[in-house]
Order: sequence, then structure tokens, then C-alpha cells
Amino acid sequence: MTRSGLLAARRAAFVLAASALAFFVAFPFAWMIATALKPSQEIFATPPTLVPGTVTLANVERLFAETRFATYLVNSVLVASATVCLTLALAAPAAYGLTRFRFRGRETIAGGVLFTYMFAPIMIIIPFYVMMRALGLANTHLGLVLAYTGLCLPFALWLLRTFFQSIPLELEEAALTDGATRPQAVRYVILPLARPGLVVTGTFTFILAWNDYIFARILLAADELKTLPIGIADLYNASVVDWGMIMASGMLVLAPVLAVFLVIEKYLVAGWGAGGVKG
Amino acid sequence: MRASPGAGRTGFLLVLPALLVLCALSAYPVLYGVWLSFFDKHSIFPGERFIGFANYLAVFADEDFWRSVWLGTVYAVTTIVLQLALGIGAALLLHQAFPGRNVLRAMVIFPYVIPTVVAIILWKWLLNSQFGLVNYALQAAGLVGTPISFMGRNWIMASLILVSVWQFFPFVVLAVLARLQTIPPELYEAATVDGAGAIRRFRYVTLPHLASVLFVVVLLRSIWMFTKFDTPWLMIQGGGAETYIRTLPIYTYLRTFAYYEAGRGAAMAVLMFLMLVAGAAVYFRLWRREEHL
Repeated sequence: MTRSGLLAARRAAFVLAASALAFFVAFPFAWMIATALKPSQEIFATPPTLVPGTVTLANVERLFAETRFATYLVNSVLVASATVCLTLALAAPAAYGLTRFRFRGRETIAGGVLFTYMFAPIMIIIPFYVMMRALGLANTHLGLVLAYTGLCLPFALWLLRTFFQSIPLELEEAALTDGATRPQAVRYVILPLARPGLVVTGTFTFILAWNDYIFARILLAADELKTLPIGIADLYNASVVDWGMIMASGMLVLAPVLAVFLVIEKYLVAGWGAGGVKG
Repeated sequence: MRASPGAGRTGFLLVLPALLVLCALSAYPVLYGVWLSFFDKHSIFPGERFIGFANYLAVFADEDFWRSVWLGTVYAVTTIVLQLALGIGAALLLHQAFPGRNVLRAMVIFPYVIPTVVAIILWKWLLNSQFGLVNYALQAAGLVGTPISFMGRNWIMASLILVSVWQFFPFVVLAVLARLQTIPPELYEAATVDGAGAIRRFRYVTLPHLASVLFVVVLLRSIWMFTKFDTPWLMIQGGGAETYIRTLPIYTYLRTFAYYEAGRGAAMAVLMFLMLVAGAAVYFRLWRREEHL
């Protein structure tokens, strides 16, 4: 084979591989959205079409009219937001303390945090459930927020620690030498620089709480308290599957995750490098 | 930093709230779980009775337990191997320059950040035996005569593996891609000058640099796949073939929340943890030996 022929073959193989990867990753989403926007008779038509002949929001309307999707949505937003607030409120001061002060046991704490990675939800859930029942927190959103905070805190601490470590100590020292108090130094020097770290950590926390199935499944029994993942799972299991409506629910749950995700995409590799996100 | 008196105490006080919450929500449940495993305890009703190792003995005598360990191992090992193969391949591809690369890089991560329940309904729809697109395509291509029952007993494990690999391989892509970007291009140039082809460049330049990241990736993915609950659990629903993917986490859950045997469920959770620790110990040793070669 000639050199240019070889190059062309290489390029073709390349395009083929990239297309296959794109297809494998994206096609299921495209199919979900197409199904969600089709009228019911078209959903089961043969041959199936990727682009809907008529685009309709009937599935979405049915979802809000006939199910408690709106309630689940509000619950999910509340629980995930509360988890982000609580996790950051605990993790940010702790990460600052771990990187800015010397005290006995500092390294042990940092290492011990990583060890909790070994505890998967399924190993914690049984005693956690018994504990929450005893405290009267089963079947409450508070119990769920606590569960997620416990789940997110280790990686939030770990991530924020690496972000704080990357902020030069000299900046803070300069502010303190110029007569600023420590709270002022934190407010005007550290916080602005730590913002990307807080955004990334907050996003990971939000996604984890937004996506979780197991804790919500076990802790919540009342229908009006359910979050989206269990709401959708129950919708699916309820009776004859209404595929159009189920796909519409999937499409709506994804929207905020993908939106948030695209905003922070540029920070993401940093978070990954620091060992963020579990699942 | 200025060494002012009491500075250490301020630092500790800042860490304390997070530490207390972690102890209450992570460490305490783990220890409480170990304690529970020695008791006969109903999952809902109060009261418990100390029974020593009886829960563990019952678990060891339970054939379904051993079967769930086997199914869980098959599931974890198969999905990890496939995730690594696909993930490394995709990362190498996405490391090259081509038009649309950044879009594809962002897209590849999608399956990993979506709720598991969405991944499941998505694939259950694609793999549906009556109206599924996959069956339609297979039949249209003349590959199968009658539709395949992907949620039936013969196919459910394969379907579960497919969905899991799709959902989790992006983690491998991101980790490997981040590392690939830090390999100095001069090394490849030098290797090329020395006459190394693509395969030898991969073997002698790329792989050694990936070793450390792959070590962590395999460790984390093993922990997470071996304890994976939501993907197989949601896959099981409504299929009628649940015993064919009843992995250890699933069986632990069932013992606790379907049979209401919290003590016995806790014992299985403790055993799961011990298996992980043992697996990790072997893994660390193997890795060290590999490095001495």
C-alpha cells in the first residue's frame, strides 16, 4: 500500500471509531427524546422513525396531569439543594482548617476521610435505616438530606482540600500583615479564589443527591415525599408501561443534570484528578 | 503562616463539625452494623436478641448466599474488564486531534452523570421484546427470526452488563484522558526517531505512564461494581428473571427489606466489606510484585 493510501485508511478507521463511540453514547438519549415527543400511535409504528412525524408535548402534559411528577420534582430540588448547602457549610471550613492550620491528628483526619470511600451505600443502609427509625427521621426529607450529606462529605472535603491547597499562602499572609483580620482575609482573598472549587464540589454533591435511588427508596414511604428517581421507578412499575410518558419523565430529569454539567465541564478534569465523584 | 497562640485550636474547631457529622453518619452506622450482625433483629419492630455468630452461620449455610457471591463476582469482573477496554480505547481516541473532539469529549461523560433510573428505562425501552428498537433492527437485518427476550433468564445478565458498561465506562475515559494529557509529547517523538511503531509506542511509552492511574481506577471501579445496588435492582423489576442477576448487594437488600431480617442482612453487609478488604489486600500485593518485575 502506498503511503497516502495508508494515511487514508488510517483516517477512515479513525472516523469510524469516533462515529461508533458517538453513536453508542448519544443514540439512547436521542431515542428517548424522540419517543417522548411522539404521539402514542407513532411510538409503536413499524418501521420506527428517529425523527417524530408530528412533535407533541402530550406525553409531558399527561405526566403532570395524571401523576405526581410535579411533587416529586419539587421534593428533588429541595432535597438536593439542602444537601449542597449543608455539605458545603461543613466541608468548606473543615477544608480551610485542614490546609491553613497545623494541629495534632491533621494528617490522620485527611487519610481517614479517604477510608470512608470503602463504605458503599449498601453496607451503610441497613444500620442507617434502623438508626433513622429510632430517631423518628425515617420517612422525612431531613433524614434523606442527612444521608446524602454523610455520603457526599468525604469527597467534598477531599476535593475542597486540594482546591484550598492550590491557593498560595502568601496572599493571605499579605492581607493579614496589612492589618486585615482573618475573617476579612477569608472573605476578600480566599473565597473569590476558592469559588471554582466550591462550584465543582457543589455540583458533584447536587448530582449525587439528585440521582440517588437507594437512600430515597429505603427512607421514604409516603408518596408525597418521594424524589424523582423513585417516583419514576414506581411509575414504571405501576402497571402497563406508558412508554411515551416514561421517556418524557426521563427527559425532564436529565435536563438539569446536563445543564449544570455543561456549565462546569471546564472545571471537571480538575475534580476528576482529585478523585471526586463516586458511583 | 503566623504562629499565633491558639492557632491550632482554631484549625481543629473548623474541622470539628464535619468530623462529628462524618462520625455520626458514616462511622457510627458501620460500627452499629457490625453490632447488629450479632443480633436477631426485625427490620421494623423494636427489640433485639443477642445470638452470637448464628447470623453468620446461617449465611454460610445458605446456598442462595453463595450463588449471589458468584453472580456478583461475575457481574463485577465482566463489567470492569469491558469498562477498561472500552474506556482506554475511547480515551486514546479522544486524545487525538480531530474536528468535533471537544463535543465528543463532553458527550462521552453523559451516561455517567445521569440518574441510574434513566439509564435503566432508556435501555429497557431499547431492548423491549415487543416494541424495542434493538429487536426491530436485529429482525430487519435478518439476524434473528423471533424477537429476543432481553429481560428473560437467558439474556438478563448480558443486558445488565451492557447497561452497566454503558453507564460507567466514562469514568475510565476521564481518568485515563486526564493522565494521557500529562505525558510529554517529546517521549513519543524520541520513540518514533528510535524506530518504534504505534504498538510499541503504546506498550513502552503510554502504558507505563498509565500504570498509576489504572491502579486507582481498577481499585475504585472494583469497590463500586462489587457493591453496586441500584443498576441491577432496577433492572430486576418486572422481569421475572430476578434470581439470574441476584448479586450479593441485591440479596443483602432482600434479606433486610423483604424478609425483614436486619441482623442477617447486616451480617451479609459485614461479609461483603471483609471480602472487599481481602480483595484489596491481594490486589495491592499483586501490584507491588508486578512493579518489582
